[in-house]
Amino acid sequence: MAHAIVLKNLTKTFGETTAVSRLDLTVPTGALYGVIGPNGAGKTTMIRMILSILFPDQGELSVLGRPSALEAKDRIGYLPEERGLYRRMRVGDFLVYMARLKGLDGQDVRGEVRKWLERVDLLDCEHKRCQELSKGMQQKVQLIAAVIHRPDLLILDEPFSGLDPVNQRHMRDLVLQEHRRGATILFSTHIMTHAEQLCDHVVMIHRGEKVLDRSMADIRDTFDPHRILFDPLDPGSDVAKLRSLAGVMSVASDGPAWDVALDPSASAADVIPRLVAAVTPSRVEIRRPTLEDVFVSIVSGGAAAAADDNARLRAALRDGGSEVRR
Amino acid sequence: MKKILHVAGREFMATVTTKGFVFGILIAPALIGLLIFLVPRYLTKAPPKVEGQVAVIDPTGAVVEGLAAYLTPERFAERRAKTKRDIEEATPAALRGPAAASPDAQAAMKQSIETALGSVPRLHVVVLPGGSDQEAAKEPLKLPLPDRGAGPDTRLAVIIVDADAVRPADGTEAFGTYQLFVRDKLDDRLVDDLHAAMREAIVASRLQVAGFDAGRITVLTSVPRPDSRTVTAGGERKTNKELNIILPAAFMILLLVSVMTSGQYLLTSTVEEKSNRVVEVLLSAVSPMELMTGKILGQMAVGLLVLVLYAGLGLLALVSFATLGLVDPFLLVFLLIFFVLAFFMFASMMAAVGSAVNEMREAQSLMTPIMMVLMVPWILWMPLSREPNSLLAIVLSFVPPFSSFVMLLRMTSVSPPPMWQAWVSVGIGAAGVYATLWFAAKVFKVGLLMYGKPPTFGTLVRWARMS
Repeated sequence: MAHAIVLKNLTKTFGETTAVSRLDLTVPTGALYGVIGPNGAGKTTMIRMILSILFPDQGELSVLGRPSALEAKDRIGYLPEERGLYRRMRVGDFLVYMARLKGLDGQDVRGEVRKWLERVDLLDCEHKRCQELSKGMQQKVQLIAAVIHRPDLLILDEPFSGLDPVNQRHMRDLVLQEHRRGATILFSTHIMTHAEQLCDHVVMIHRGEKVLDRSMADIRDTFDPHRILFDPLDPGSDVAKLRSLAGVMSVASDGPAWDVALDPSASAADVIPRLVAAVTPSRVEIRRPTLEDVFVSIVSGGAAAAADDNARLRAALRDGGSEVRR
Repeated sequence: MKKILHVAGREFMATVTTKGFVFGILIAPALIGLLIFLVPRYLTKAPPKVEGQVAVIDPTGAVVEGLAAYLTPERFAERRAKTKRDIEEATPAALRGPAAASPDAQAAMKQSIETALGSVPRLHVVVLPGGSDQEAAKEPLKLPLPDRGAGPDTRLAVIIVDADAVRPADGTEAFGTYQLFVRDKLDDRLVDDLHAAMREAIVASRLQVAGFDAGRITVLTSVPRPDSRTVTAGGERKTNKELNIILPAAFMILLLVSVMTSGQYLLTSTVEEKSNRVVEVLLSAVSPMELMTGKILGQMAVGLLVLVLYAGLGLLALVSFATLGLVDPFLLVFLLIFFVLAFFMFASMMAAVGSAVNEMREAQSLMTPIMMVLMVPWILWMPLSREPNSLLAIVLSFVPPFSSFVMLLRMTSVSPPPMWQAWVSVGIGAAGVYATLWFAAKVFKVGLLMYGKPPTFGTLVRWARMS
């Protein structure tokens, strides 16, 4: 399979700060890749280098088979993290302008713009000035500007930031539609759940270095926590007796439910019937690894890290705060 | 190239369709046009005819006769005719020629002069006895004008001549003078006439008393001032001092206004794109160099529009007076060449500054030295146009960024430099443009994505090295 993006040993420094360090990455054509990491991890710098907005100090890259994105700009769509529009320009005119800059020509550009505006329920905004739109509407306009020329590669930098849940869903649907059309998609986020919901492959960056580069299926297998969430039907049930069952290592309270840790050698398929036989459940669920857990586990080097360090990392991932580099 | 043109097109349209541009750039010529249209119409409205009496208390008895003679309608008409002749003679040949050729223009000019001079007043001099009560004489001045306007009985002024106005008092050599009291809102031209009449009448009386012939003295002291004539290989012509000053200034103002207007717009639009964060979206579609080139070309079109608009107005004025021949078409070509050179140099610096700052406020400190450089030819305009071949003028006409302005100034002056100097200046200017564009492009590339602390010139140099 041809590769949409190939980065080899990419390094970028700003003064004393190394934003990206010896980064290798290969994104196959047609893939949907998520780049995750806290703010300040180096995601945007990496993306800007892929787009030839910034140039690496060291290393090589190839984008859509070209040594520089400058040679393939018309085949790339980009939604930057720092989003902007010409505030006084009319929405339709802005999109026509961007489409023309992206190589879309001919008389049908205006028609294409209308089609897209209709698709995102903004047709009545065509003649409005950009500054008159709400933030969610502006973000939709910006996404249209990124995809109107049907790019082969779509790069989205924090596409969900600042959106309410409804607009997040709209944005997710549009991204998936583009993926189904055949576009290779690379998007960055510091919100792990967004990556979990969308990606088939995840790259984690921490302090400018790649710390994980795996498919979601692989991550689920590798980082399987070997735990079961058990919620008894009768809250007064004697859950303590679950500890004595074969294959169960420990049982700990997890809110109204119980967290059952399994022996490394035991399989969930064997243990679940025993649990159900011992105490009637209202819910039994095999715990899946979250990307947040995986990230914290990787960057903290397992259980050895201090609890407050882990908490800080989780906060950085959830709230969008940046992790201070040491 | 297509993308560059798209950027340029947007830049041009976004600038010329703003209210600021329409009002700031287009309204000024429109107002000038309106004034050109309205002023002649206003001038053709003749001031009201003046009629009334001038009361004189003349204890000397020697002044009133001269005053009355001076204020007769015939003398007024005579003086107006002389003033008219003087105005016509003072009018540059360049303007008088076409006017003489066209009966309509001639009539319009005469009408304008006559209107400006006003109609001949009809004044009746009333002599009051030497010992009259001065306050009583002034009383009629306070009365309101009759509804039908001033008539022969309406007192317009009171003149009280000092007893020693013609002969000094015994034991002194100093002469007295006169007092003039006038009605409220009396036409100031009439007041001037009364002063002139009194001066002439008193001087004539004094000369007579001293035993001189006033007419003879006037003849002896009169030396007409001839026009100087400029002698060139092509022949002789009347020296046109006004045009010698106006033409270089007009060309340099045209150049400055067009370059500064479009340069300022370029700065504003670049800062706006950066502060709106739209620049990164643009950079995903075009390279920084394409973006900068497009923006500069777009604003150059804006500058050219301003240049064509203002130069066109000037040329239109020259055409309307049939004086287009005063401007060498070759100069217009050089105006265009020097505009392009000056614009590229100035605009690329503006683009660099715009890319480096986060908001307009921060641009001020970086703009100051650039604006000062632009002001140098303006400050030195007078000495440079008076001495277009001085060492300072020659040196500055070869040193970018002054070269475009100073060489144009020299070329439009009375003694233009040899043509090879103009072309050398163009060549050096082009090299300067290349160097400035190179520097600006480097700064632009780095600066566009830099946010935070406002940069200094040192920072810009560091970015250029870094890029």
